[in-house]
Amino acid sequence: MRSGDRIDLLLALALGVLLCIGLLSVYSADSGGDLFYRQLAVVAVGLVVFTVAYNIPLRMIEELSPFVYPPVAALLVLTMFFGQGPAGRWLVIGPVNLQASEFAKTALIIVSARWLPGLKSGAVRRSGPIFLGGVAILVGLTVLQPDLGTGVAMGLIVLGMLYWGGFGFRWIFLFVSPILAAVSSIGFGWWLLFTLLLCAVLYRDRAPAWKWVFLTVLNTAVAALTPVAWNLMMPYQKARLTTFLDPAQDPQGAGWNIIQSQVAVGAGRFYGQGFLRGTQKTLAYLPARHTDFIFSVFAEEFGFVGSVFLLGVYALLIWRILLAARRSMNPFNSIMAAGVGIYFLIHVFVNIGMAVGIMPVTGLPLPLMTYGGSHIFTEMLMVGLALNAARNWRSW
Amino acid sequence: MRGIERGGREWPLKSMILILLALFTVLTVRLVYLQLVRGEYYSTLAARNRIRSVAVPAPRGVVTDRSGEVIADNEPAFSVAVIHSEFDPANSWALAELLSMSRQDMEERLDAAMQSPYRAIVVREDLDLISVAPVAENSYRLPGVIVSVTPRRRYRLGSSFCHLMGYVSLADSAARYQGELTGVTGLERILNDRLMGTPGFIREVVDAYGRVVDTFGDSPESTPVPGEDISLTIDAGLQVFADSVLLATGHPGAAVVLDWSTGELLCLSSVPGFDPNLFIGGISSRDWNAILSNPQKPLLNRAWSTAYPPASTFKIVTAAWLLEKGIVTAGYMPDPCFGSVSYGGNVFRCWGIHGRLDLEEALTVSCDSYFYRTSQNGNMDDLALIARSMGLGARLTDVLPGEAAGVVPDRAMMNELYGAGGWGQGNLLNISIGQGELLTTPLQMAVVCGLVASRGDMPELSLVIGDEPCGEKLEPLVSTGTFDELDRGLRSAVTRRNGTLHLSMGASPIPIRAKSGTAETHTGEDHAWVCGYVLRPAPVAYAVFVEHAGSGGAVAGPLALAIVEKTIERLYPDAQW
Repeated sequence: MRSGDRIDLLLALALGVLLCIGLLSVYSADSGGDLFYRQLAVVAVGLVVFTVAYNIPLRMIEELSPFVYPPVAALLVLTMFFGQGPAGRWLVIGPVNLQASEFAKTALIIVSARWLPGLKSGAVRRSGPIFLGGVAILVGLTVLQPDLGTGVAMGLIVLGMLYWGGFGFRWIFLFVSPILAAVSSIGFGWWLLFTLLLCAVLYRDRAPAWKWVFLTVLNTAVAALTPVAWNLMMPYQKARLTTFLDPAQDPQGAGWNIIQSQVAVGAGRFYGQGFLRGTQKTLAYLPARHTDFIFSVFAEEFGFVGSVFLLGVYALLIWRILLAARRSMNPFNSIMAAGVGIYFLIHVFVNIGMAVGIMPVTGLPLPLMTYGGSHIFTEMLMVGLALNAARNWRSW
Repeated sequence: MRGIERGGREWPLKSMILILLALFTVLTVRLVYLQLVRGEYYSTLAARNRIRSVAVPAPRGVVTDRSGEVIADNEPAFSVAVIHSEFDPANSWALAELLSMSRQDMEERLDAAMQSPYRAIVVREDLDLISVAPVAENSYRLPGVIVSVTPRRRYRLGSSFCHLMGYVSLADSAARYQGELTGVTGLERILNDRLMGTPGFIREVVDAYGRVVDTFGDSPESTPVPGEDISLTIDAGLQVFADSVLLATGHPGAAVVLDWSTGELLCLSSVPGFDPNLFIGGISSRDWNAILSNPQKPLLNRAWSTAYPPASTFKIVTAAWLLEKGIVTAGYMPDPCFGSVSYGGNVFRCWGIHGRLDLEEALTVSCDSYFYRTSQNGNMDDLALIARSMGLGARLTDVLPGEAAGVVPDRAMMNELYGAGGWGQGNLLNISIGQGELLTTPLQMAVVCGLVASRGDMPELSLVIGDEPCGEKLEPLVSTGTFDELDRGLRSAVTRRNGTLHLSMGASPIPIRAKSGTAETHTGEDHAWVCGYVLRPAPVAYAVFVEHAGSGGAVAGPLALAIVEKTIERLYPDAQW
C-alpha cells in the first residue's frame, strides 16, 4: 500500500449503498429477468476498475492525460458514423456496446484537470485556446451524435471546473454569454434582463472598450439569430423541448414518458408499494424503466422515504467528493475530484428531475444505478480517482 | 502551488455545496408534491392505469316526410357493455341475472367480447332506466362492465312506415362497437351508409373499480359525426290516413299515390303492418310469433313487393296496344258482347252482357268481350313491349327495398313455360283482361296511370328529397292521341251512369279518372283494384288494391276516392275545381 490516509469510509459506504440500490432496482425493473445478472457482471468489472483507479498513482494519470484525449475523440467520431441503437449512440464492437459519450465525459474531466491550473496561473497561457478548442471538439462531437443533453452536461461540468479552478463568476458569465444570449431570445423581457446583466458585469469588470463592443455586438447577433437556428433543429429535439415545456399537450406521444414516470413516482406515496410490487413497470406503462427511468421504479416501490434516502446518499457521495477536492493539495487532484463531484451533481439532478417531470428528457443516466456498462465503468473509475485523491490529499 | 490559493478555495466549495443543497431541495419539494400531496391521485391512476377506447355512437340520421314530420329519430337509451380484459368471468352469471338474460345468452355475448378483449362489447342494449338500474347500482362490484347512454332508434309513426323504413338492430359484425346500429330492412338498410354517421372515440382512464377518472385526447376527429338527415317525398299524414282507410276494410291492402308532374311518391301504404319499434333491441319471441302467425301476413309489403294479377286495370295497357297497333280505332265496334266469347274451342266469359260498344264504352263498363274480340287479332310480343315501356315487368326504382318486378309474359316466356305449341292465342285473350300469367304491383299500376295522365311524359320517380330520382325515365311507346282516347274512357268510367266507378266516385266534384279491376283468385274472394289519376286540379295518380275483398269498383272505389280527396286536401290546398 502506498502511503496515505485510510479510505474515506463515508464515501465508500455511499458508493456501496448506491450500487446495491441500483442492482435491486434493475432487478425489479426487469421483473427478475437476466438484466440483473448482466448488471451484476458490469458492477463486478466496475469494482476492478474502481480498485485500479483507487490505487493508481494520480501523478501517472496527470502525466498520461494528454493520451486520453485522442482515443476518446476517435470513439466519438466513429460513433457519429457507425452509431447504432435507438438513438444511434452506441458503438457496437462484437458483444460490447460502447457509449462513447460516457468515456468522453470522463476524459473531459481528466483533461480539464490537467490544463486548468496552468491556464489560470498564466504559465501556459498560449495553450488556453488549444484546451478550449479541445473541449469544444468533444462537446461538439457529442452534440452532433446527436446527443444534446450529454453535450450540455459536458459543458456544465467544464464550467463548474473552471469555477473551481479559480475563474470567477463574472468571467464565466462573459465566457458563456453567447449561450445565455441564445436562451434569452425566447422573450424580449429575458433578452433585456440578460443584456442589462451583461452590461453590469462588463462595468464591474472595468472592461476595455473593445471588450464592450465585441461582447455586446456578438451577443445581440446571437440572440437575433437563435430563432432562425431553432427552425433548423431536429424535429425530435424540438419535440423534447416543447414536450418538456408542456408535457400534457401530447400525453400519448412525446409526453407519454414524462406522465407515466410521474404516475409511477407519485404512486409510491409515503412508504412505497414495496420492493418488486410496483405496478407501473409490470404493466409496461413505464418506458425505459431499467435505463432512463430507473428512479421511477425505485420511487414507486420505496416511496417518499426511499427517495429522500436515495437523495441523501447521493448528497453524501457528492459532498465527500467535493470535500476531497477541497482538501487535495495537488491542483490536478483537486480539480479532477471537483469535476467528478460536479458530474454526479448534474447527472443526479437532471435524471431525477426528468423522472419527476421538472427537467427535459435527456437520456442522461442516473449515476451508479441506471442499467448499462459504459457509464458504470466510468463512474466507478471516477469515484475511485476521487477516493484516491481523498486518501492522498497531502501529496502534490 | 501557484494560482490557486488555499484561502480562495473555501468559497468554491461553499457555493458548490449551496448549489447541491438548492438542487436537491428542488427535487425533494417535487417529491413531496408528487408522492405526498398528489400521492392518492397517482396511486389511483397507477392501480389500474388503464386507458381504454370507448366508442361514442353517432346519432343515426333523422328521417322525415316531405313536410318535416318525423318518421324515424333517436332517443336516449341505456346499453350495458363488457370489456373482457377487465371483466371477471365469475361475475357473468350475476350480470345475466341483473340483466334478466339467460345464462346461455350471456355466455354467447361474452364469447363475442373475448374476441376483442380491450373494447367495450355490448351484451344488452336498449334498456330503459328501470331495467338498467340493477346493473348501474352494482357497477362498482362489476369491473369491466360499462353502462352507457346510446341513441336508440324510434319510429314515431309505428306501423305506417314499417315496410318503407324497415328497422335497425345492433350491428352483428366482428368490428361491432358499442351501440352500433345497422339497418336490417327497408330504407334503413338501403340508405344505411348515409344514415349511420361516423362514431367517435374517447380515451378514458379508469381506476380499479371501473370508474372513469379522466379522459384523454378528446381530439376533434374523435367526436361522432351524426348520420345524414333524410326527407322523403312521402306525406306522412296521407300515408297514415290511407292506412286507416285500408284497415277499416278488414282486408290486407295497399295504396300508392304519386305526383305525375314531378314523379314524387306521395303515399306508399300497405296494411296490415307491424310496429318496427318492437324490433329495436331484439324482438321478443311472443311478438315475433304473433306477427308470423297473423293470417294477413303483416311482414308482406303489398304496395311494391308483392305482384298480383292486375285484372281489368290492365285494360288501360291493352287499349293502348290495340290503338297503337291499329287493331281498333276509337269508334270501332266489334261484334256485340253476349256475355261470353268462344275462341279456339274455349269459352271466354265476360262479367256482364254489354252489347255493341266502342273502346270508350268498353273501358267505361270494363267489357271483357270487347277485349277478347279485338285482342285475338294481335300479337303477344307487341303487347308485352308496350306494357314494359309503361313500367310493367321490371323494377321501377333502385331504392325501394325488395321491389317486385312483376311479370309481363311474352312468347319466349310462354314457350318456356308451356313449350312451343303448348299455349295459344287464348292465353293472349286472358292476358288482355289482366289475368293469366300477368302480375303487377300497385306501384306499377299507379305509374301506368301517371303515364296516361302526363301523356307519356312523367318524370322519373323520386322518394328522397334532394336526391337524384330513384328510377329510370319511362318512354311509353304510346302516342298522345292514344292517351287522349284512354283518358276519355277512364273519365267515362266515373261519369257515365253505367261506369264501373260511377256509384263510388260519380258524385265527387273532383274530375277523377279511374279504372277498376276485379282479379279472380283461386284462394277465395276476388282482389279489388282501382287505379287512375286526376289531371286538374292536382297532378295525382293513384292505385288502390284490397286483397280478397270482392268487386274492384264497389270495394276499392270509395277508398281510392277518399285517398285522392285527402291527397288534394293535404298537398294541394289551393286547388279549385
